Amino acid sequence: MIARPPASDLAGDLAPAPVAPAILLAGVVKRYGAHRALAGVDLQVQRGEKVVICGPSGSGKSTLIRCINALERHDGGRIVVNGIELTGDEGTVQDIRQEVGMVFQHFNLFPHLTALENCMLAPQLNRGLSKAQAEKLAMAHLERVHLADQARKYPARLSGGQQQRVAIARALCMEPRILLFDEPTSALDPEMVKEVLGVIEELAASGVTMVCVTHEMGFARRVADRCVFMDRGEIVEEGGAQDFFDAPKSERLRHFLAQILR
Amino acid sequence: MNALPIDLDLAWESLPALFDGLMVTVFLTVLPLIIGLALAFPICFARMSSRRALALPAETFVVFFRGAPLLILLYLVYYGLGQIEALRNGPFWIVFGSPFGCAIVALSLNHAAYMVEVLRGSLLAVPHGIVEASEALGITRRNIFLWVRMPLALRYGLKAYQNEVVSFVKGTAIVSVVTITDLMAVANSIFEQTYDPFTPILCAAAFYWAFVNLIRVGFTFWGGWLNRHNAEDVAMPGPGRLALARLAGRAKVMP
Amino acid sequence: MTNLSLADLAGYLRQLGEGALITLELFFASFTLAFVLGVLIGVVTLSRNRFIRAAWRVYASVFMGVPSLLVIFLIFYGGSAMLAAVLGEFGARIDISPFGAGVAALGIVYAAYIAELVRGAIENLPKGQFEGARALAIPPLIMWGRVILPQVMRLALPGLVNVWSFMLKETPLVSLAGLQDLVAAAKIAAGATKEPFLFFVATALLFIAFSAASLWLANRLEARLDRGQRRAPVRSSAQAEA
Ligand SMILES: Nc1ncnc2c1ncn2[C@@H]1O[C@H](COP(=O)(O)OP(=O)(O)O)[C@@H](O)[C@H]1O
Ligand SMILES: [Mg+2]
Repeated sequence: MIARPPASDLAGDLAPAPVAPAILLAGVVKRYGAHRALAGVDLQVQRGEKVVICGPSGSGKSTLIRCINALERHDGGRIVVNGIELTGDEGTVQDIRQEVGMVFQHFNLFPHLTALENCMLAPQLNRGLSKAQAEKLAMAHLERVHLADQARKYPARLSGGQQQRVAIARALCMEPRILLFDEPTSALDPEMVKEVLGVIEELAASGVTMVCVTHEMGFARRVADRCVFMDRGEIVEEGGAQDFFDAPKSERLRHFLAQILR
Repeated sequence: MNALPIDLDLAWESLPALFDGLMVTVFLTVLPLIIGLALAFPICFARMSSRRALALPAETFVVFFRGAPLLILLYLVYYGLGQIEALRNGPFWIVFGSPFGCAIVALSLNHAAYMVEVLRGSLLAVPHGIVEASEALGITRRNIFLWVRMPLALRYGLKAYQNEVVSFVKGTAIVSVVTITDLMAVANSIFEQTYDPFTPILCAAAFYWAFVNLIRVGFTFWGGWLNRHNAEDVAMPGPGRLALARLAGRAKVMP
Repeated sequence: MTNLSLADLAGYLRQLGEGALITLELFFASFTLAFVLGVLIGVVTLSRNRFIRAAWRVYASVFMGVPSLLVIFLIFYGGSAMLAAVLGEFGARIDISPFGAGVAALGIVYAAYIAELVRGAIENLPKGQFEGARALAIPPLIMWGRVILPQVMRLALPGLVNVWSFMLKETPLVSLAGLQDLVAAAKIAAGATKEPFLFFVATALLFIAFSAASLWLANRLEARLDRGQRRAPVRSSAQAEA
């Protein structure tokens, strides 16, 4: 591990951006014991921006996006989401999570609820929607992921691709302004990757802010405003998709791209 | 010695008394099951707490009331608590002064201790990712417990719960030592009057068997209904099933 | 607080000690019986014979469906008559002691649980185990004794530990048939000294301590078996075929 200057020093110097970004990370540090999973990460995501993050396994991609909605608590630096700074306070965490939807690699659907009920649960509990209102909302979003006809099925009855689309609809039902994806297609069989990426692309067109961890280069080229390469807990390189993939500047990114293309 | 060990006339005559005994057994099953379960929840939360000051007393409770034979617990409550002056003069003497009260207290504590472990194992079997997904949706911890963790834990722990309930029912047969005339006690007293070693006890056995199997059937239906979402393929993810196998090993003897 | 003299206490402790020995004897005897019977029954009832299977189901259902205490009373009160029916005049003269009734009852009841564990473990063995042994032309008795059963025991160990500690907690039931065991001694001491709380808590702690000690041993045994299993050549060769 290369020694780095204490990241928290950087945070104080940061001038406020002219338009408040959707996500602001400044010198974010996350430790697991002695190991630094995030070693001072600075990242700003503007409203409506689509950011793709890639990097080798264990480089801290999941940790990074899990810090954004406080599934992991960061140990240093600042995280500001939609103008709300993440502190240890439980209320702030709850506020931020209302604004941020997340889709996981392994779907994590509620196995005891139907696709529809999966989507209805959070709106009913968090926003106090009636059953009828929640059902209407859930159906609308299931429609959006092209699963209205599977609404009454339990997750065990759905294919992996369908499950992941239900998970996306479930996140959408909270009508978040920011969507986080952690390798949404890497647990899927190849033939199902396309249907899920297709749905995410359609969402991207709707103007929502997106941070997506993925190694799907075609998807990144079509959707990403910016690509970010992480290695060993830090952001090594970032840029537009074109330059990023075709003219990588750093040796580490070149090496990484050579590996995933093989 | 005739070929059939059962005296049918005696069996017929004993039926009403045995049935009354069965009702006492049912009563001494249902009430402690409710009280024990109600106790088990807070104790389980304490046991799973990261604060030592909560976890340690809860663990001690479980070790003692699960590790001590039920008969000793019953003696302890029935004979031992009477020693405590404050208790004897206090308002709770209505409970601790009566055999029924003592039996219910001892049985409930025993059941609670077992249920803490059943609950804990079932809650731990709930896949972490599913809880995380709920957190990410902004659902509060209380609601996650009520709507996600508990419903899933119930499904994962139902078998262990059934085992505990069945072995609990059989465990109630000792209450005659504190002068309660449950099913076992009725059978014993008929034996003492008639010196027929088979008829009353075998009849009682039939009653116990029927009661226990009624419970089993009930649980089977309950489980079928709960698991309607994966009637054909198993939806339970790997880690959950693993934890459950461990849980099954930890619960009382399997039926 | 206590009004016990030291000499009295020593006397009661001696009685408790004697009772504890009887409890331990009862426990070991019944567990041994249950184990031997259980393994035999478990192996035999895997037979495809319909009658053997039906008999197993009846046996398991009956003894898992009634309280152990009831079985203890049944054998204690009715054992002589049962023996007379089986052995004739000679059997009728055998007196059933509480100890004998306890061992027989607990043995028969828990044999059912152990048989179930053994059956489950055998069914979970990879098929290659049997085929491997057969391919090597190992005689059946040696196959069972040296190849199958050791692995079955390893698989069944957690369940056996469970039966062990549960059975231990049921041994006090035999005191209700008149056995002068630990619990009976504690009850006498509690009554005579008017210190029931002390004696019953102490007795409970003895049970807990014994249970904890055996669990600790079982965990070590399990760890050792798991380690040995990785090296055992028989298993790995058989597994390759599975
Ligand atoms: N809960 C945890 N406990 C300890 N170490 C962890 C934990 N989660 C992640 N890590 C470590 O942090 C580093 C980054 O992990 P992660 O963010 O999951 O990487 P990626 O998603 O890029 O593969 C890895 O070295 C991983 O081992
Ligand atoms: Mg990851």
